[in-house]
Amino acid sequence: MTSNVSETAHALEAGPEGGDTDAVRTLKGDAWRELRRRPLFWLSAVIIAVLVVMAVFPGLFTNTDPREAFLGRTRESPNSDAWFGRDVQGYDLYARVIYGARASILVGVLASVGTALVGSLLGLVAGYTGGWIDALLSRIAEVFFAIPLLLGAIIALTVMRERVSGYFMIVGMVVAILVVFGWPSIFRLMRASVLQVKPNDYVQAARALGASPLRITMNHILPNALGPVIVVSTINLGVFIAVEAALSFLGIGLQPPTVSWGVMISDARTAIRSSPHVLLFPAGMLSVAVLGFIMLGDSVRDAFDPKSR
Amino acid sequence: MTTEALGAQAGAVSGDARLLEVEDLHVEFHTHDGIAKAINGVDLHLDEGETLALLGESGSGKSVTAQAIMGILDMPPAKVPKGQIRYRGKDLLTMPVEQRRQVRGPEISIIFQDALSSLNPVFPVGWQIAEMFRVHRGMNRRDALDAAVGLMQRVQIPAARERVRAFPHQFSGGMRQRIMIAMAIALDPAVLIADEPTTALDVTVQAQIMSLLKELQEERGMGLLLITHDLGVVADVADRIAVMYAGQLVETADVHELYRAPAHPYTKGLIASIPRMDMKGKELYAIKGLPPSLLRLPHGCPFHPRCAWAQDVCRSDHPDLREIVPGRRSRCHFAEEVIDD
Repeated sequence: MTSNVSETAHALEAGPEGGDTDAVRTLKGDAWRELRRRPLFWLSAVIIAVLVVMAVFPGLFTNTDPREAFLGRTRESPNSDAWFGRDVQGYDLYARVIYGARASILVGVLASVGTALVGSLLGLVAGYTGGWIDALLSRIAEVFFAIPLLLGAIIALTVMRERVSGYFMIVGMVVAILVVFGWPSIFRLMRASVLQVKPNDYVQAARALGASPLRITMNHILPNALGPVIVVSTINLGVFIAVEAALSFLGIGLQPPTVSWGVMISDARTAIRSSPHVLLFPAGMLSVAVLGFIMLGDSVRDAFDPKSR
Repeated sequence: MTTEALGAQAGAVSGDARLLEVEDLHVEFHTHDGIAKAINGVDLHLDEGETLALLGESGSGKSVTAQAIMGILDMPPAKVPKGQIRYRGKDLLTMPVEQRRQVRGPEISIIFQDALSSLNPVFPVGWQIAEMFRVHRGMNRRDALDAAVGLMQRVQIPAARERVRAFPHQFSGGMRQRIMIAMAIALDPAVLIADEPTTALDVTVQAQIMSLLKELQEERGMGLLLITHDLGVVADVADRIAVMYAGQLVETADVHELYRAPAHPYTKGLIASIPRMDMKGKELYAIKGLPPSLLRLPHGCPFHPRCAWAQDVCRSDHPDLREIVPGRRSRCHFAEEVIDD
């Protein structure tokens, strides 16, 4: 009987598939295959790669000191010596654009990772436990959600601006404030996808086979609920970079002598009419960076979403 | 507490205690429309190596009984106001949560109906089977994976060693149910609950899965609680049958006795509605009406609105589950007449 059953099983079930084991398809594998075929993905990947190298090793791109001012050559147009020209203070714009990448990328990446961690963790807890914990966390999230990101950051930074100094402290504070006002969107997303994953039979099955709540959340719920969060965090990265620039422009984010695109745009205010290149280069870089990250987010979303194929 | 310690403890009190005993179990669901009484006093017992079939139509409380035994009912909305579920003499319902979790898997295990949705889509099947060994036995990854391959071979998955890294969606329905079975028996449980294990499968595969279950049960001496609505499946596999209707047992009997002469009008109706070869061309019998709403159970016997035997007494008095002949119980005022009919 045993051998009989096993043979029949072989013929009936394994037969059509021919026991193929080499072509194991996974969601991640499919998404990667899909991504590789998209020119938009490669374009954004190249932009981001260049920006990251720029942020880590600015010395590779320029030998000029971004803080070396030639007041006699103020507002010089682009030329062979200073490729992007010079600003009001006589700084080399090209060097400053290169060095400014670090602050923008740092703030963008840290704020995205921070909101993703805080939002996912709280969303996971709220979605999994439910009850009053869920109600409490959701109401808190709604309170923060009601405050516009930029407005909240302006208020918080104006109050706290005086208390910190030093490059990393200031960057850290800007990141912290973006995380405080930015986590609710990730929280809601995570909570919703946990609620969607939780009633699945495999979660029930894991429970029935004696898995602990921690194991159920980490092994069965989190991996199945993480997709949307990854996508939105990637898109958010561009948004955070833009917000950082806006804050610096308003004079409450990063400030001189820190070099950042937002600070440069702010410095350019007085010279826009007479020498627009002072504004165009940092603003252009900012646009390219934000575009790069948003394009990456879009491609990742499309690749993970089976409906868009 | 470790699994071993628990096992020893459970073993110590086993003495003459039954493997699994359900006594006067009540389960209700608190909904917006009121309280739905899903289970109203169920008594069951299961011995080692025995197969008890729990039979009934949708909504009769079969699956809720299984979930209550497993302790995976979502509470709220579910509530267990009354009853005991004893495993080797120990009441599972009053057991501390953590201790009860240790019972699930190594002592009592379950197979669900839909094997695709019961497997986590993002992990390879071998990983999921191996997880049982890593969590409960503390095995390292390699040993656990080897043990998983062994189990996959045991449940007759062809080319198990190659397929151990494949994902659930790469398997056919029958193969997925075999993987589910492998996970459920991984820790050698004493009780296996199979909640409609073959409903989602086609007929040829059904027979294979049932004979695999039967084989594993004999090999390991497990008590098997088979939940089903398919009388055909029951006849070959079960030792005893308990028929459920509206959250209560209406008849319990030895499987052959029950087929020979049902002692409850509902069971009689179920057996009459099995398609038969010698009835070709004739209209298939169906029990008329619908099962009652659990929110508003009728007065008296819950089956009376659909029953051909119904008298005034059925509309006013709720019948008890009484012993008709030794080993047979029926919840019907006219059980003797039904059995002789």
